[in-house]
Amino acid sequence: MFNSLRMSMGWVHTWMGLVLGFVLMICFFFGALSVFDREIDRWSIPDTRFKPQPMPSFDEVLKPVFFEKLKPDPVDMAATEKRVIGPLPNPETMELESLFAYTTHRDPVLRVGGEFGIPNEPKDATDDHLHVHGRGTVDPRTGEMLSDDALKIGSEWFYPMHFSLNLSWMMLGYWIVGLAALMMLAALVTGVIIHRKLFSEFFTFRPRKHVLRSSLDLHNVTGVVALPFHFFFAFTGLVIFASNVYLPVSHTTLEPLHEQHEVQEAARTGLPHEEAGVAAPIASVDSMVAEAKRRWAERDMAGEVGFLYMNHLGDENGYVSIYRAGSDRVALVGEGIHFKASTGEIIREDPPRSVVASIDEFLTGLHLQHFEHWLLRWLYVFGGLLGAICIATGFVLFVEKRKAKHAKTGSQGSRIVDAMAVTTVTGMVLAAVGMLVANRLLPADLADKGQWEQTAFWSVWGLAFLHAAWRSAPVAQARRNPAWREQAWVLAGLSLSAVVLNWTTTGDHLIKTLFTDTYWAVAGVDLSLIVTAVIGIYAARKLKAAELAKAQSNKGAKRRKQVNAYD
Amino acid sequence: MISHATLQTSNRIIAAIVGGYAFTWGFTALGIAVMVAMGIDFHEAETGMSLVAFLVFLGLFLWTFATASMIRVWLVLAVGATLMMVIALLLQNSLLS
Repeated sequence: MFNSLRMSMGWVHTWMGLVLGFVLMICFFFGALSVFDREIDRWSIPDTRFKPQPMPSFDEVLKPVFFEKLKPDPVDMAATEKRVIGPLPNPETMELESLFAYTTHRDPVLRVGGEFGIPNEPKDATDDHLHVHGRGTVDPRTGEMLSDDALKIGSEWFYPMHFSLNLSWMMLGYWIVGLAALMMLAALVTGVIIHRKLFSEFFTFRPRKHVLRSSLDLHNVTGVVALPFHFFFAFTGLVIFASNVYLPVSHTTLEPLHEQHEVQEAARTGLPHEEAGVAAPIASVDSMVAEAKRRWAERDMAGEVGFLYMNHLGDENGYVSIYRAGSDRVALVGEGIHFKASTGEIIREDPPRSVVASIDEFLTGLHLQHFEHWLLRWLYVFGGLLGAICIATGFVLFVEKRKAKHAKTGSQGSRIVDAMAVTTVTGMVLAAVGMLVANRLLPADLADKGQWEQTAFWSVWGLAFLHAAWRSAPVAQARRNPAWREQAWVLAGLSLSAVVLNWTTTGDHLIKTLFTDTYWAVAGVDLSLIVTAVIGIYAARKLKAAELAKAQSNKGAKRRKQVNAYD
Repeated sequence: MISHATLQTSNRIIAAIVGGYAFTWGFTALGIAVMVAMGIDFHEAETGMSLVAFLVFLGLFLWTFATASMIRVWLVLAVGATLMMVIALLLQNSLLS
């Protein structure tokens, strides 16, 4: 099929890169936004605009949260009901079997959740671990539960967008993203193979030359300068989901071996796998936390609690696991110390990590970036945006190389690709900013507000696609789609109105959030929106100027032809 | 009417994605089973294999497009995947008893 290695690799680069490039745009752009997901959450839920808080006292604040306020999730109730025989008991009477609380150095609010036990038998005998989940968000200063209708746009929409496309049906989104990540790796390797003079091309940039030349240069520079970055994120993204989504061998092929290991592990660590069936009270968790902190300080790594987990609640076998927040190092939460829940005595301290586990934790930790380093956080954003530029210029290259030929043969290929490119470049940013505008326009107490925001997101994106397709005819005549320019203008308008709406609906204008009552999370989102608007205006004007210049030269050419005709 | 070239291309894409995935799956299962047999902790083995698996998949994917003979590609992928799966399952059985 191919005559040479370079040809075959070129084919993979062009076609696989094109088809999955549309997905990769989403991964890179929303991945870049995820770096500041908590800050976007603050912007979209004004009630939570206060300072990050440490893990609150369990005995005083969290106990009533878990044992009185946390209830089974109705959606999960309905899903579980389908898997079991007979109706589920009343959610008010279900008892919590395990619980967790999680926070980071950027979280004012605390995430909590738990598993409620049910007496029902499963329909499928192999379907174990039957629970109904409950989750919630808590104001750690008061123990008050926050409304679940308020969607955390950053961490519950943009963040899952970049690894699951928010398509939960059959995990389809995960699989598409996984394939796209593999293609990103393939595109990087094939990109290096097809470019012989990688080093000299790296220093070549001809911005004033033809679009084809300058976008090729930009494609090469953004691809090569951030090559390790792109490779790293695509690769670790796959590794993070390997054991649960992409290669779940331990839950399928090797499940018996895995089960045997779990039981042996429970015996070895002393953390009981099953309940004893004997009721027992819970000792003071606060004193266990104090003991854990004392032991961390002894190891010369004093720190805060990031993750608290309790299993077999109210049972003799119950235990409490306390993990340290990883604000000061790359690996995630760790240094777990485990206590017997009924007495507070120590069962076990996690041993130092093995080499393999350290490598894995370092790689995944570097991807998930829970540590405190604001400069690096911004570099991640730029890296992600460089990736997006690399892919977007790839689309431009594809179209520019073919549109003249397609205009002659009457093919609609480059027209369709160009419309898709508009949809995934300006259209995608429009959807994200449009969602923020909807967030400020919809009343805070609207029932299912988060659902409406999601509808706004998809609607804006859908409209952007229709607009791009409707305006795409010029591409088939080797000219440019005016949708690029028009959407850039709309983007600028939407971004600025988001900033203004934030001011009018919350009173948090930039002078306040920057100077008089500094709150970087909100100021940062506002400033980023303004930068987006500036880029939108610049791009729109640039495109207009290029169109005018082209029209001028076409007219000139025509006139010369006419003059010649009179000769 | 589907052209010969389209069929050829589809064959390669399916081999690269489906065949490559099957091979990677077998490779991962076998790798974990062998390491557990050698006395390495199960999750250690699993983590180690997940760090290697996608590089293997990437290599197979590109190799499928670079190789001339599709018969060889399918032979290596299908036979390799099946063989590794069978050995992994046999090894698991002996480890359980």
